[in-house]
Parts: sequence; C-alpha cells; structure tokens
Amino acid sequence: MNDPEHPSPIPPLGEHLTSRTTRDIMLVQQEVLAATRDHLRGQGFVELLPPLTGPVTDPGGRGAKQLDVDFYGHRYKLMTSAILYKQASLRGFPKLFYIAPNVRAEPLETASTGRHLFEFHQIDVEIAGATRDDAMRVAEGLLTHVVAHVLERVPELLSGLGRDPVFFKELLRGGFGSRTHADAVETLRGMGHGQDAGTEIDWEGEAMLSHKADRPFFVTDYPKGSRGFYDREDPENPGLLRNFDLLAHGGYGELVSGSERQADYAAIVTGIRESGENPAKYGWYLKEAREGIPESAGFGMGLQRVLRYLTGMDSLWQVTAYPKLPGVVSA
Amino acid sequence: MNRLHAEGLPERAIRDRARRGRAAVFPPDDSYGRAVIGADVTSTATVDPLDAARLVPPVFMPRRLEKLIDLAREPLFGDVDLRTRVGGFASALPVYVSAFGSTQVGTELALAAGRQAGRLGIPLVVGENVAPTLGYRADSSLLSRLEAYAAELPEGVGGVVVQQSTEDADAEVWNQVHSDPAAAPLLDSGRLGFELKLGQGAKPGLGGMTMVGEDDADRLSDRYDVSGLDPRGGPRLRSSSPGTFTEEILAQQIRFMRNNFPRVRVWVKLPPGRDVGHAARVAWSAGAHAVTVDGAEGGSGWAPSVFLDRVGLPLGECLRRIGAPDGCLLASGRMWEAGRAVVALALGARAVGLGRAALVAVDEDPEHGLVNLVGALELEARLLISALGKYSPDALGGEDVLLPGSAPATAAEPSTVP
Repeated sequence: MNDPEHPSPIPPLGEHLTSRTTRDIMLVQQEVLAATRDHLRGQGFVELLPPLTGPVTDPGGRGAKQLDVDFYGHRYKLMTSAILYKQASLRGFPKLFYIAPNVRAEPLETASTGRHLFEFHQIDVEIAGATRDDAMRVAEGLLTHVVAHVLERVPELLSGLGRDPVFFKELLRGGFGSRTHADAVETLRGMGHGQDAGTEIDWEGEAMLSHKADRPFFVTDYPKGSRGFYDREDPENPGLLRNFDLLAHGGYGELVSGSERQADYAAIVTGIRESGENPAKYGWYLKEAREGIPESAGFGMGLQRVLRYLTGMDSLWQVTAYPKLPGVVSA
Repeated sequence: MNRLHAEGLPERAIRDRARRGRAAVFPPDDSYGRAVIGADVTSTATVDPLDAARLVPPVFMPRRLEKLIDLAREPLFGDVDLRTRVGGFASALPVYVSAFGSTQVGTELALAAGRQAGRLGIPLVVGENVAPTLGYRADSSLLSRLEAYAAELPEGVGGVVVQQSTEDADAEVWNQVHSDPAAAPLLDSGRLGFELKLGQGAKPGLGGMTMVGEDDADRLSDRYDVSGLDPRGGPRLRSSSPGTFTEEILAQQIRFMRNNFPRVRVWVKLPPGRDVGHAARVAWSAGAHAVTVDGAEGGSGWAPSVFLDRVGLPLGECLRRIGAPDGCLLASGRMWEAGRAVVALALGARAVGLGRAALVAVDEDPEHGLVNLVGALELEARLLISALGKYSPDALGGEDVLLPGSAPATAAEPSTVP
C-alpha cells in the first residue's frame, strides 16, 4: 500500500533484501556489532538485553511521538530509548551496554533527512561514577575501534560500496576535537545559517558543521531546554547541560548523544516539570531515584547512523534490513 | 416544613449544602453542559474596571490628518484596517476564538465554531483535555476540530493553536498533532501553534474540571482524579492538576517547546494571578509568540461557585498589572462586542478572544452565528476606532481610555493648531 502524498523511496522488501548492496551492508553491520561487543567487553562492560516496553519511556525531544501498547489494560510505551532503565541498572551493573531497538514516531518532515528511521538501534552505554569526559573518551574509543576493525576486516566491502578508506584517515589518527554549543551557533551564524541559540543544532546546521570537518568532533554544553530531564545541569554554568553530541565529518551529522546524568531526586522531579510533564507517570523511576540512583554518564550511538557513515549511503533506510521511514507506509 | 430560621444567614444555600453535600460547591448538576458558566451568570462580586471604562475621542486628531493625506479624502470608519498579527499568525481581525473545554457545552458546538472561525480567517484555539478525554480521532475530537477549521480557512491568514496542560502531556497531544499528516498543511504554511496552559480564568489555581458519567469515570480514573460529589449519586467530578510552575519551570517549558517544535508558534495562557505581569514577561523573554491572559470571568468549564465569585483578578486589572507588553498580548474573558474589546486593545492587548460568546452564537445559528456576531463586533470596532481618530488597532493607546477613578486627562494632545 502506498500513500500518494508520501511516496516511498524504499523498494519492495524482497527486492531490498536480495540486493547486493543490502547484503554487503549487513556484512559490515555484523562486523560493527562484533567490534562493539569485543571493545566494550574488553573494558569491563556487561551487555544486557534492553526492555521493549514500560509504563514510561524517554520523553526525548524534537517532537518525536511515543507509541502506546495496551499492557493488560494499562497504557505502556514502546521504548524510544531505555535511558531510565540504564540508570536503574547501575547498582547491579556499574558498566553496562545494550544494543537496543527503539521506536520513535519522528515528525513527518524527517522522512527525507536521510538521518531518521521509525525503528532503529542504539549502542547504549552507561558508566556509574563517570564524568562527561569519561563518557566522551569511551565514545571516541568505541567509534575509532569500530572503524579500524571494519577497515581491517572487510575493506573489499567498503570499496565495493564506493567508500574510499582515505575518508577515515584523519579519524584513525585520533584526537577528536571538541567545541561548545555556543561556539557552534556562532560559527553557523557566521555561515549565514540562522541557528537558534536556545535549541539543539538543527539538522541543516549539523550537516553544515559536519561538512567543514575532516574527522568526528564533539559539541558540548547544550542549553537547558534542548534535552531530556536526565541530562545534568552544570552547577558552575546554570542554564548549560553537562552533555555532548559526537558529530561525524563529511556531512553525516550526529552519531552519538550523551551526558552526565542527573541523579539527585529533587532535581529530577523539577526537571520533569521543566520539560512539561507530570511526574506521576514516572512512578517507578522516581521511587528508584528517591532510594538513590548512582551518578553516571553515558551515551547512545546510533547503529544505523554509524553504518551509513561507514558505507557512505545517502539514507538510513539503505543500511537497515527492514526499513521504516517516518510516515511512509512500507513492509 | 422547616422549623428553624436563621436571620442574617443564607439559609437556602446552607440547606442546599445540607442536602447535596459536596455537590453544592458547584452550580446545580442540571445546568452542566447547558449553561455557559461564567461571571455574568453566577458572580455577584466581580467588578471589572473594563466595564466602567469609557473610550474618549479627542477633538484634535493628527492621526486622522495622516490618513486624510494618505487617502486624499476625508477618512471614514470603513477605512479602519483591522488586519493584524496574532501570536505569529496573520489575522483578518484583532479577534480569535478561545478554547472551549471538554465539557459537553463545548464539544457539541465546537465544530460549528471552528468552521466559522476558519471562514473568518481568525485564529482558533482548541482546548485542553479534548484528546485525553474524548479520544484523538473520535467525532468532535481535536482532529475533527482542526479539520473543520482548516477546510474553510482562506490562504495566508489564521492558524490553529492546540492547548496542552500538565496532565494532557500524558496523552502527548502536541506530539500527536505534530506528526499527524492531517496537520501537515497547517504546519507547512506556518499556521500551527501550541498553547501551554498554566491555568484559566474561571478557576485560577485549579486545573480542568468536568462532570462525567459512570462509564467515563471508570475509563478516566487511571489518569485523572474522579470523585463522587452528591451523596445521593449522580455524575462525578473529573479533576486535572493545574501543574506546578515557577519562573524557571515556565521558561524551560517554553524553551523545550521551541526546541521540539521549531515550526510551531508558541502561545502561553496565564490565569488571572496576582503576578500576571511578571509571568507574562517571563514568557515573552523565553520566546513565547503570544501570552494570553484570561480574566476571572468564567468559561465553558466547570467551576466551583466560590471561585467565580471570589478568586482571581478581573481582566482590566490583569491588563493594568501587565502594563506596556513586551510581546503579543491577547485578552479573553466576557468578550462579545467591541466596547470591551477596543478598551482591551487600547490597554495593550493585540487581540481579544471570544469564548462563551462564540458558543452562544453558534448555538443560536450553527451556520452563521459566529460570523454574524463577529461581523457586528467588526463594524462596532471600526466605528469606535475611527471615532478615536485612528485607523488601525495598533494605533490605540492608554490615552483613548478613561478608567474609573482616574483623573480626566489634562495633557494636550499634539496638534498643529495653536
């Protein structure tokens, strides 16, 4: 079934699954997953399998809608991200990761960004007692390891897909740079892009910054009001969050989003109100927070975004076996 | 036959409470869904400075001279240009239709009001709790209100503003609308707005309240407080929390809206609280496209009688406390004709909201009632504004109004005549 107003760029599923390109990308994907597990386990992380549903999920941002599930008469949500469960798991598993499937009904206009899917996966990492810098170093180490592993193990797949290894030369030298959100806003305005200083960097702005770079780089200190309530406000710079994004070079934009987490109960409740929500629905999480959630930092790395970056595909639907774009009816 | 009499006490009201208990805190059940509860219906205590204000035209009119030069003829009331911008939308008139709640009185007539507001090219606010209590796609729900409006809306004017209050956030009203294909034409043409509701005029400090039957009560009880009132049975009261706000919470919520919905206009509805001026400034400085202030004048929701009589600032006092607005200020509360409306515009409002009057109008004539009511208001507004020697609502100012208790103006108006 095709909606004439939203024509699908996705071929019929059978055709997609049997194409040479899809097969090669899935072979790259399994190398990414193997390298991720190998690298994180080698650093003492434990892999857990994430929950799929719960009474609440990550409220997220940028207008993505949550999906309801009828749990025996109770309204549950499909996970937009399992961030709240990651925090709750830290007392038993101080260094943990998921390869987590997530579902987000993103706004319709994201169907054509090449960077959004309705169903996607995150490499979701959380570290008890860690600072933002610790989490940034883990993200940098993980991405560098994954890229190096793929280049070493399946170079013929990348070249078959048209990706020249030279693209990753600067990345492999290490030392990802870092700039603040305020600095990024100033750069974008200097380039004639009207970026709002109080919001996340928009997709066009991310692509512009990303095109200027020769290796991935961090953007830190996003303003309060641009992220979920679980990002910790900087006590020394009120109004700024102790968080970061890792943006790819080459126009691919955000690969990773992370932060130091808010662990203080009263600050969490206040943060929930500041994001316009009723704390009542976060019952189980607030009970955990009241009893004491460890301080932590962590991040989510978009698996499909990393794959697109590795393979040079135009759109995320090309790097997933069962693609679903926001608002586009497909298999 | 009662034996006891209590001189000097409202004996009937006391006996009513003795019979009906907690139910007597509210207007009688049988008026629910039929009466448009409001200050003019039940309040005896509200004295609104707007009611006693007079519009005071000057003799000398430099603005009329400007218009004369512009037109090369003497201007008339038909030359008043009422087009304006209301909360980020172009509007044919300095008028919008305020939200009706999820009470029956609202839902039955809301579609008719929406269609006519669209025809008029003026913004429409769709009320809180419509989605959570009535279902997102049920008849008369949020979506059908939105579609009814958009179907008749001329190009380039108007806009729909969807309210969400704290408890609606559970139903993700804004996210639903934002990703619904039916809303895409409004979103793409910059004519979709979201209104953060901090409270309302009829019951400042309280959240939404409706009366619900037994079936609905069971369905809603996991998300709302639902309690029986009359010891003898009958409909039950569904209550929402108004939500907790501080300066920081309001500012952050507005920033969050702007971050999450960058193409949507952000409106903030304030109750007539004593710090309304401060709250309005916080909202504008955080980036709200409009601040709506709802005077303590009633509404189509269900309010305890004591709130209608004794709680909240009248609209005129709200406008006085806000003073010269830092952004687009919208005023609602007992608006229906241009006298009160033009005074509100002169005291700083960019536009006025028709609430209960719009409902009564479509109740009188579902096809043309609101169009006719607004037509009358429009003519009156032209007459009044031109009489003040001005030809657009933006030109109105405090000098055009004599408020009760204020000394007559002595300062001479600027004039070229010695």
